[in-house]
Amino acid sequence: MQISSKDLILLIGLASVIFLIAPVSLIVYVMLYNNRKKRHEQEKAWLKTSFENELLKSQMEVQEQTMQTLAGHLHDNIGQLLSLTAVTLSTIKPDDPLRVREKVDSASQLAKRAIKELRQLSRLIYGQELTRMGLAAAIAFELDYLKNADLHTITFNSNYEPKEGQHDKEIILFRIFQEILNNAVRHAEATAIDVVVQQDEQSLEVKIKDNGKGFVEEEVMKEKRGMGLFNIRKRVALIGGEVSIAAQNGTEIKIVVPYP
Amino acid sequence: MSAYITVNTAGEALCFVVSLMCLYKDKEPAWRLFICFLLITVLVEVCGIYVRTVLHRPNFMIYNVFLLLECLVQSYFFYYLYKTYRNTQRLLTGWLIIFACFYSAELVKNHFGAYVSASSTTMSVGLILASVYFYYLLLKEERSRQLFTYAPFWWVNGTICFYFAGIACNLFFSYLVQDRTPGIGHSARYIVFSIINIILYLSWSYAFICRYRQRILSSSSD
Repeated sequence: MQISSKDLILLIGLASVIFLIAPVSLIVYVMLYNNRKKRHEQEKAWLKTSFENELLKSQMEVQEQTMQTLAGHLHDNIGQLLSLTAVTLSTIKPDDPLRVREKVDSASQLAKRAIKELRQLSRLIYGQELTRMGLAAAIAFELDYLKNADLHTITFNSNYEPKEGQHDKEIILFRIFQEILNNAVRHAEATAIDVVVQQDEQSLEVKIKDNGKGFVEEEVMKEKRGMGLFNIRKRVALIGGEVSIAAQNGTEIKIVVPYP
Repeated sequence: MSAYITVNTAGEALCFVVSLMCLYKDKEPAWRLFICFLLITVLVEVCGIYVRTVLHRPNFMIYNVFLLLECLVQSYFFYYLYKTYRNTQRLLTGWLIIFACFYSAELVKNHFGAYVSASSTTMSVGLILASVYFYYLLLKEERSRQLFTYAPFWWVNGTICFYFAGIACNLFFSYLVQDRTPGIGHSARYIVFSIINIILYLSWSYAFICRYRQRILSSSSD
């Protein structure tokens, strides 16, 4: 059988294409799958970077909060006590020995109070380090400090046990707690605050309840006053957790994060 | 002289030159092995043409011996490629024993008087499976790779295209070997084989160039 050269070329072309379809498809599939893996790697790297950024931001905010409290305390309490001590001492007249004793005692009392306040303050600076001892210790310290002002009724219950390799998550969680506590004290004008840290094998739940004014989340977000709320939601999502907010008749915020 | 310059010999010779230039200083013996292998391939091809056209004698015995070498080199190279992912020494040994048995049995059956085409097909099937296994390992590993410049990937691409198309051509288009067209002077089978040979050697040459670039980049970053 003799076939024309045109037919033969067509046949050769067709045969070559057909024979190469299977291996070429396989190669294209491997390349596409590899590209998908590459995109997944990039997404993972981006998530890791944003987690690290958020962690750094949280650490800085914890420090900032501490410094603000420190400055306020120095100005409002210790500064006043020392000024009063200085005024008391300056009014001492050596020619009135009966009053000298009384004024020295008074100045001494003021100085002692200033020393006590300073001790408390130094514990607050140390409080930054408390996150290293575990979340519950840091929360307890923050609440203790608030309790000293005698303006709030505070309860705290916890069955927390620290676990290895969760420190970064705890820093972010602690910063979220600080933000919520700040909102309760400053904006909600709460007088009672109830904090519960509940832990099981796989998760950690932090519940903060107050009897303050409450709010409507949508309205707060619409008026762009809700940066704190937005940050709370964003950070909880970043550590793979969930947050639920109920803000009628006080506020109850519940955060559940995986804690393997 | 012109009888020696065919698409196949030209492709093989060019690939040999590329391998010589790119792999000469390669630190891996498995890659350097291709310089010798491609040189032998060119020599075998030239000898085959010489025996067939000058001595007018059948040249199947040359290709029978070369098939053994081809199987050894390709199998060893696949073993080297798998080593990055897992140890497949047992698999290599098992495969070589099976192939040797098959090859010897066919030689004896043919009374050393014909080309061992069944062994050639068996080797092709084995190498196609090896290529698919390499892709599987590539897909399974967690990290992604720059496949456009990944030398092993391009080497395997050339190999799978060549053996897959080759086996299909052998199995389904054997009747085409009888048809010769005056304008072309070759059978369709010969031309299809020439095309897949070009694909193989282009792919391998590109793999060697990728390997060379990788070596240059890694030595300049040291």
